[in-house]
Amino acid sequence: MDDSDEALMARVARGDERAFRELARRHVPVMLGLARRILGNAADAEDVAQEAMLRVWTQAPRWQPLAALRTWLSRVVVNLCLDRKRKAAWVGLEAAGEIADPAPLAGESAEVAERERLLAAAIAELPARQRAAIVLSYTEGMSNAEVADVLDTTVSAVETLLVRGKQNLRRALAPVIGQE
Amino acid sequence: MTNDEFDKFLDSALKRHLQALQNDKAAAARVLNRLAGALPRQHMALWRWPAVLLDWQFAPAWPRMAALAACLAFGFAIGLSGLDRGIERGAGAGNLDAGALVFEPESLTGGRP
Repeated sequence: MDDSDEALMARVARGDERAFRELARRHVPVMLGLARRILGNAADAEDVAQEAMLRVWTQAPRWQPLAALRTWLSRVVVNLCLDRKRKAAWVGLEAAGEIADPAPLAGESAEVAERERLLAAAIAELPARQRAAIVLSYTEGMSNAEVADVLDTTVSAVETLLVRGKQNLRRALAPVIGQE
Repeated sequence: MTNDEFDKFLDSALKRHLQALQNDKAAAARVLNRLAGALPRQHMALWRWPAVLLDWQFAPAWPRMAALAACLAFGFAIGLSGLDRGIERGAGAGNLDAGALVFEPESLTGGRP
């Protein structure tokens, strides 16, 4: 049996719950990671991932395979994250206390730890779309064209978002790395 | 630190930091668990109805059963209301006996036209 995303979506469109659960098992971890990186909050990320998957279920009969399912799903997650950030006040990563690196920094210098802390804070302070563009580009391995597709904008706009995002990060990190 | 060095540092720091925010399996399991419950109704696109009706697979599926039941009810209602009889009466020609007009004998004389 064809178990590609498209084939599963065709079955989901016919109301096949088993196909939906298989699709969810396949995509929830990735979408959860994406939402968490954009929102900086694990609890909200879980809500977003769940809502995105429920949209897959309800919208499946209307879905047309114009783009890869992953791209479409990423767009849904990013839009839900941006909506959530628009509605709710931002909770910084520091306040949320969820930036723990699995690899402890015990062996690293205090300067590196300080850089990491500042980087986390700087990412948290970025405007939502710049943050989304950086997350999609750096962790999801998407090309600028794919990021543009997800953010529903042009490639040049994505490049601008990335450049401005990096400029903001550079400005925030300048004190600790000694660059003006 | 030069601009190039800073760019390299930023690239590696971003990758390292964002990868560190990998979701844990417990969170994914929680989401999957929440999705295991009853699912909401799907939004059916109108253009799918013809496909549903033309899909002659013999597996029972509620859209096909609903469509069949609706057709049966509609036909039954038309039959009860007599709409089809009205159409038949409107035509008129169905009840006409042309032979009677042509071969009816004259009532007094008995002559034929």
